[in-house]
Amino acid sequence: MKQTGAARALRNGILILGPLLVIAVLVATQFGAARLSIAAVLAGDPIAETIFYSIRLPRVLLAALVGAILAVTGLTFQTLLRNPLADPFILGVSGGAACGAAVATALGLARIPGVIPAVAFGGACVAMAAVLLLARRGLTIDPSRLLLAGLVLNAFFSALILLALSLTGGSDLSAALRWMMGTFFSASWSDVVMLAVVLTLSLIALAAYGGELRLMAFGEDDARSRGVNTNAVVLIVFLVSSLATGAAVSVSGIIGFVGLLVPHAIRMIWKHDYRVLLPLAALGGGTLLVLADALSRSIMAPGELPIGALTALLGVPFFLVLLRRLAR
Amino acid sequence: MMELSSVGYAYAKGGGVDSVTTRFREGELVSLTGPNGSGKSTLMKLMARALDPQRGEVRLLDRPLAAWDRREFARETGYLPQEPEWLLPMRAIDVVLSGRAPFLERFRWESKEDYALAEQALADCDASHLADRLLEEMSGGERKRVFLARVLAGQPRLILLDEPLAALDLEHMQRFVEMLRTIVDVKGSTVVFISHDMNWSSACADRMLVMNGGRLVLEGPPREVMRPEVMLEHFNFRGEALQSDSGRSWIVPSR
Repeated sequence: MKQTGAARALRNGILILGPLLVIAVLVATQFGAARLSIAAVLAGDPIAETIFYSIRLPRVLLAALVGAILAVTGLTFQTLLRNPLADPFILGVSGGAACGAAVATALGLARIPGVIPAVAFGGACVAMAAVLLLARRGLTIDPSRLLLAGLVLNAFFSALILLALSLTGGSDLSAALRWMMGTFFSASWSDVVMLAVVLTLSLIALAAYGGELRLMAFGEDDARSRGVNTNAVVLIVFLVSSLATGAAVSVSGIIGFVGLLVPHAIRMIWKHDYRVLLPLAALGGGTLLVLADALSRSIMAPGELPIGALTALLGVPFFLVLLRRLAR
Repeated sequence: MMELSSVGYAYAKGGGVDSVTTRFREGELVSLTGPNGSGKSTLMKLMARALDPQRGEVRLLDRPLAAWDRREFARETGYLPQEPEWLLPMRAIDVVLSGRAPFLERFRWESKEDYALAEQALADCDASHLADRLLEEMSGGERKRVFLARVLAGQPRLILLDEPLAALDLEHMQRFVEMLRTIVDVKGSTVVFISHDMNWSSACADRMLVMNGGRLVLEGPPREVMRPEVMLEHFNFRGEALQSDSGRSWIVPSR
């Protein structure tokens, strides 16, 4: 059967972005402190194999998963808040998650499996609720208040992270920096598996509500009249997005602007609804963060630039352009 | 088709509708008029289930709206909001296809039949040539026609239109009014539309409803509504009524 418009757009998008992600992953494994050739890995060189399978591959895959999650949640936050500037970092949701995770780590809870992601999820939910409370004006969300609320929350969470770490770990500022600027330095296979599960479940849940999200793009009144229980959809999508953000931040720290850059680029290229945009945003976000991470490892090798600093360098000019366009 | 009994809804900031009771029969074209802020749009939202009434009850086909499954209700009705909005860059054909959403199962794409209905609806609204254009590239009137096509694509039995004529040019107003008549006369659907244009309303509607201050103050055939006294009392408009040879009434400003 001939596929219809949206299905065809999704297939084409996957055929373009899928291979791009695979290539990015393979290329990114080549970058890092030690030289590594794929040929040596395939030839069975034990050192090359160790570096590739225990360090490089989990790290690159983790970057792909985190990028996918941040891009997808950026898209859902933009939809629910009806604001093109919404992004897990700008809203303070990433900050809330990082704060929860950092505090739990400082308290020595990191050894209990599942605690860090769970606390990060709690932090993300608290931040989301706080943003909504602060930015609501009657029934609508005020865009400038939304940005202000995010700004203030981010400052508060940064302070809490520093406080928690200095109260427990002495003067180790690099740990704080890891949470606040993001890194994939300590990537492990267990992180990769956890995030892969979270991403898959989130995408399935969001795809199930793709039709509802598509109608909500036409406004809440319209969506309700088209059979959408908008309150339920908003609650479910917020929870799923906060959970996914929390899980991503719990392994990588705060990485901003991916959720802003990728959804806007995808929307500009594929002018379709969420059933098409969500999976493509995942692929695009994965590719972007894999490449950014490779760059962060190679700019001043063998040292590393925090990945969040790099995405901010890319994202801030883009944010300013969007802000100007919104002001007009 | 639809009955309203003592329906009330008050916004926190004031305004809304107050104990409106009326009924809409099958195969009826009804115009809902009234001055700005008289509660027309709110009443229509209550009928379209975009809002739930605070008092009273709305029934579709003898069943209270609250007893309807939301999607089933959406299959029977179509609603055009006053100011259609959209968040994503979208082509007209995809906007119209979204009118088929209440018929779509989870995780499924539209079928060829859905496409055929969407294309037919675009053609009915003289908008086939807009199919692949983006909404933001269109004029207000073109966009209106696309959103009207979106309503028609769902083939609803009850069609609720909030100011469908606003932004349309004369040609498309006429086409549109003729199309509404056809839908009502041939398919037996019920159409309720909000309009400030008394003359177009009386030219096509079987019945006119007048709202003022949140209340339904008058309903009847056009000739009962199109009177200078009514215009003065409810619209604060000084006009006189003209009769055409065909028996139609027109309201024109007094000199």
